[in-house]
Formats: sequence, structure tokens, C-alpha cells
Amino acid sequence: MRGWIKRRAAGKRNSEKRLDGRNPVGVAPDSVSCPQMAADRSETVIELTDTDYTYQAGSPFAAAALYGVNIRIRRGTLVGIAGGTGSGKSTLLQLLNGLLLPTGGSVRVLDHMLVPGLHKPKLNALRRRVGLSFQFPEQHLFEDTVEKDLMFGPLNFGIPREQAQAQAVEALHAMKLDESLLKRHPLTLSGGQMRKAAIASVLAAGPEILMLDEPTATLDSAARRELILLLARLCREEGRTILVVTHRIEELLEVADEWIVMHEGRAVFQGDADELGDRADELDRWGIAVPEPLKCWAEWTARLPQLAALPLPRTAQEMARRIAEAVHQSANPSSSEEEAGDLGRLEASVCATN
Amino acid sequence: MTRETAAELSGVDFAYEKEEPVLRDVHLRVGRGEWVAIVGTSGCGKSTLVRLFNALLRPDSGTVSVFGEELTEHNAPLVRSRIGMVFQNPDNQFIGETVEEDMAFGLEGLGLAREEMERRIASYSDKLDVSALLPRHPGELSGGQKQRCAVAACLTMEPEIVVFDEATSMQDERSRLELLTVIRGMKNHGGYTILSVTHDVDEMLAADRIVALKEGKICADRTPDEFFADPGLLRSCGIELPFRMELARQLSALGLCDAEGEYGDAAEAGRFGSGSEVDQRRGTRS
Repeated sequence: MRGWIKRRAAGKRNSEKRLDGRNPVGVAPDSVSCPQMAADRSETVIELTDTDYTYQAGSPFAAAALYGVNIRIRRGTLVGIAGGTGSGKSTLLQLLNGLLLPTGGSVRVLDHMLVPGLHKPKLNALRRRVGLSFQFPEQHLFEDTVEKDLMFGPLNFGIPREQAQAQAVEALHAMKLDESLLKRHPLTLSGGQMRKAAIASVLAAGPEILMLDEPTATLDSAARRELILLLARLCREEGRTILVVTHRIEELLEVADEWIVMHEGRAVFQGDADELGDRADELDRWGIAVPEPLKCWAEWTARLPQLAALPLPRTAQEMARRIAEAVHQSANPSSSEEEAGDLGRLEASVCATN
Repeated sequence: MTRETAAELSGVDFAYEKEEPVLRDVHLRVGRGEWVAIVGTSGCGKSTLVRLFNALLRPDSGTVSVFGEELTEHNAPLVRSRIGMVFQNPDNQFIGETVEEDMAFGLEGLGLAREEMERRIASYSDKLDVSALLPRHPGELSGGQKQRCAVAACLTMEPEIVVFDEATSMQDERSRLELLTVIRGMKNHGGYTILSVTHDVDEMLAADRIVALKEGKICADRTPDEFFADPGLLRSCGIELPFRMELARQLSALGLCDAEGEYGDAAEAGRFGSGSEVDQRRGTRS
């Protein structure tokens, strides 16, 4: 870990980032489907200021869930939210689409300001712009065809039938589902399809901010990866702001721009994966298992100290490449041309010393 | 492999809708005390398969037997008491107003004396570290706590076969590892036959055997070592290598050590940090 601190002090972090395979899905800021999303990416779309939330506030059963949370989220970013069970992650999501009102401080989402005691706030407009996908897809799907489920949101927000239908189809395509599924009963879909259909049903209403609670939990690992890449595409190509609550930091590491860690109702961390790596020692205390990529990188950094100057590689392939380069360099500090045979020999010695 | 048979499917066909068979001519034998992981892409029939064992579902043809006894309508209730199930979403199995009441509900059904019920609840809630949660309403618990309570409730029934149907999939990383430790403990205890339907690689690696389903048929039945050495099989089952294994594979593709060496390397590297999971995994297999 000390290595990362050195690396930060050397100021290499930001300059190296783009060279380092970050945003592997590709930023395409021009292809923005929704005009209001074309706005400046530095615009803050979510802002929590000293936000508190207490369940059943004022009653003897009051139970605080969030304390003094301060969070800023910029438009068009993909944000991972991690935290142990009961850390306040789900409460946080519910505050962001007005399902809950803060009991202290304020929550600003887009141009809606939510403060304690707001009397009958008109939140329909907010909820149209902020979509929430629950942990269990079957809790979203209640109509007798996928098409009706996908149209439910748009119709509910007063969009004419024909347009709702078009939006349903578009959402289906965005989740790479086949149109033949439209007439199926949602509960006859496979787990992976059901999950994607549930997300599509949220997307159909055209939210600018999409929040997902453990979207990959029940999928097999190949389907998880596919879904994560789809979400990254929604973010990069369509400029949507995406918040993903996850307990698998490692699977989102490749695509997340930023991380928020919740612990005992407080936002104890907000920053990118490099900064998260710097504080890997604290993860355990925050009730989070240290993700494997951070562990592996720390292990290799301990062997090859020159790796410490680099940002955290986001994929196994990238990490392997960095390690190979470092081995290469330490084999031959002066010459840049090297043969595979020498590389192999040197690596053998690295392995042997460990 | 002269283990007594705990559960067996022979020539089982099953379909929810006639034209779409879910299981086709499935033969599977699970020995007493064995831990078998059932894997495959979503929708391949894994959950259907385990539901046949406690007669939640009945096969269209073929037989299902448990401890040598073929399942029929008449003996199904008796057999069910020997099989415990832990599901993915613990909310679906809570009935009581408090955790304790929920556990007692199942035990009352067994017609146990009050002292015995109290003893079992105390013993298993202690084993799963949920004693403090006994007076709480299940709705107040976090997902991980709920799942531990669900396992405790299941074990109070003292089942001989325990089926985990994606039980770790909704858990956070820590609760997942905790639950995995619990299942390992049950395996070491020796008194349980374990079937786990899972997408979790750690759970697969900890099992004795991995049975892979594809399009309603068993396409592989191997030890974890054999299973994970077959990239084509992994791909067809929708399984991606976990980061550490993938890194080792990538390194070896770049000519750094041979694959065997890298695996050893990765496990060794676990000593530096808190990568004890790898050592543990290897430990259980050796």
C-alpha cells in the first residue's frame, strides 16, 4: 500500500490514467441520445449535504440509517456503491428517487431539492428522470407480457401509447434482448433475461439517472460480465448517470469511474479505484472484503516495487501486461529490445525468489 | 466410492410445459456425506433438479430416490423432513414474527418437546452466530443476517441432506465467505450430504464434485480440479475464471511461468496479504 502513496505523491496518477486502458468501453460523448444529457459531464446531478435519515423518526422505534452523508455525483459517470450489509446503501438509493425524504440535511437530485418535512412533494417528475431497479427482478415484473411491463412506466408517466411502445422496444434493444420476448410472460424468462427485462422496464421511461441494486447477484459469471458491459455502454454512449450497488467490487472495477463506500450509515469513501486501492487496508474495517484485483496487485507490487508507480490495472489482462513489462525492465534496465527466452529466464528467477 | 447413496435420480425427465423439456434423461447419484455443486447457465434446470429431491416437483418419468427409498406421494412428507433447503432469497422462507418463532415453527411441526426445541434453537443459533438476533423481526435483518438465520432454522430440523439453492448469491462478499465457511464446516462435520446450486466459483471449488447441466442434460460430472482445467467446458457453463486464476492464465500466456507454476505462485502469493481463501481452498482439496 505504501507504494501507491508514493505513486500518488509522484503525481503520475492522472496523467497515466488514459494510457492505461481506462474506460475500455470507449467514451463516445457525441452519440448522446437524449438532449438534456448532452450537458457538461462536470455538472453535479446528485448532491447530498449533511444528509441524515432515521427510520420512524420521532417514535420510540427510531433507528438511524444515515448520518451526515456528503456525496457529489457528476453527470454521465458510472458509480459503484459498496458497503457491508446494513451499511445504508439501500436507504441511500431510496433517498435519491424520493421514496424516502431525508430527516436532516438535504438531497438534491437534478433540479429537485429534497429536505426534511417537505409536504407532499411532487415527485413524479423526479421519478421519471431517476429509475431504480430493485434487487429482485421479479419484483418489477407484474404484467402478463414483457411488452406491457416495459410500457407500464412510460404510460404511467403520461406518454402516449404509440410512443410508449416505441420506447419499450428501444429499451429492449438497449439491453440486447430479442423482440420476440415482447409477447412472453415475464416469469417464463430465464434469470438473465428476466434481470435484463427488469432493467429495460426502468430504462423504457427514459431516466437520466439509473440506479441498480445488486443487478448481477443472481446471474452466472459470463452473464454478469455481459450486463456490466451493457451498463457501461448506457453510461458512455448515452450519457446516463449510473449508480450500481454491488457487493462484488471486482466485477465493476473495470468500468466504474468512481466508488462510494458506505459503512454504518456514513459515506466513508468517495474516489476512484486508485484511491480505493490506496485505502485497501481500511476496507476490512468498513465491512468489505478486499477485492481480488487489489490483493493480487498488492502482492505483485511487493515483489516488483516499480509497479507501485503505476495506477491500479482494471483488468486481469492489463495487470498481466504491466507485470510482464516490469519483469522485462528489471531484467534489462538498459536495453529495450529483449528476447522472450531471457524474459522467461528472469521470470523463473522472480518466481524462485518468492 | 462405496459410499451409501443419499439421493439418486435415474432416467428423470421433467417439463413445466410439454413442449419445453427442462430435464431430459438425467442420471445422478449423490453419496452420503458428499458435497455436490450443480452448475450451469441460468435457465439450464439446476433449481428444477434439486426440487425433485424433496418432491417439491415430481418427474414426468424416471425415479427419484432418497436414502434408497423411491419418492412417492405417500412418503414425500417423511422424506422432506430429512432434506433441508436454503433458498436464494431468505424472505421467501420466513414465516414467524421473530427469528426464534420462525425456527420454532418448523420444530413444532416435528412434534418435539419444548426442551428439545429450546436446545436445538440455542445450539444452532450459536453455531451460526445469530443468537443475538433471535428476538428480532426477520424484516429488520440485513440480507446476510437473514440468510444465516435461514440456515440455522434449516439445521434445527437436523436434516441429513441440505440443499443450498444459490444461497450465497444475494450475499455481500463477507457474508458470502462466512456462509461458505459454514457450508465447509458442515462438510467437515460429515453428517450432512450437501447439494449446492451455484454460480459462485469458490463454492464450486470447495465441493467434492461439480455436476454441470446444459440444455437439461448432465454435460459434465468432475472433480473441481478437472472441471476448472477445461476452458471449453467453463465457457459453455457461463463460468468466467475468477480474477486470480485469470491473471495467472494471462501471465502464463505472456510466457511468465507455465500454468502449473503460476497456480502454485498465486497460492503462495496469498501469504502476503489476506488471501487465505486460496490456501483454504487448496487445503480442503488436498
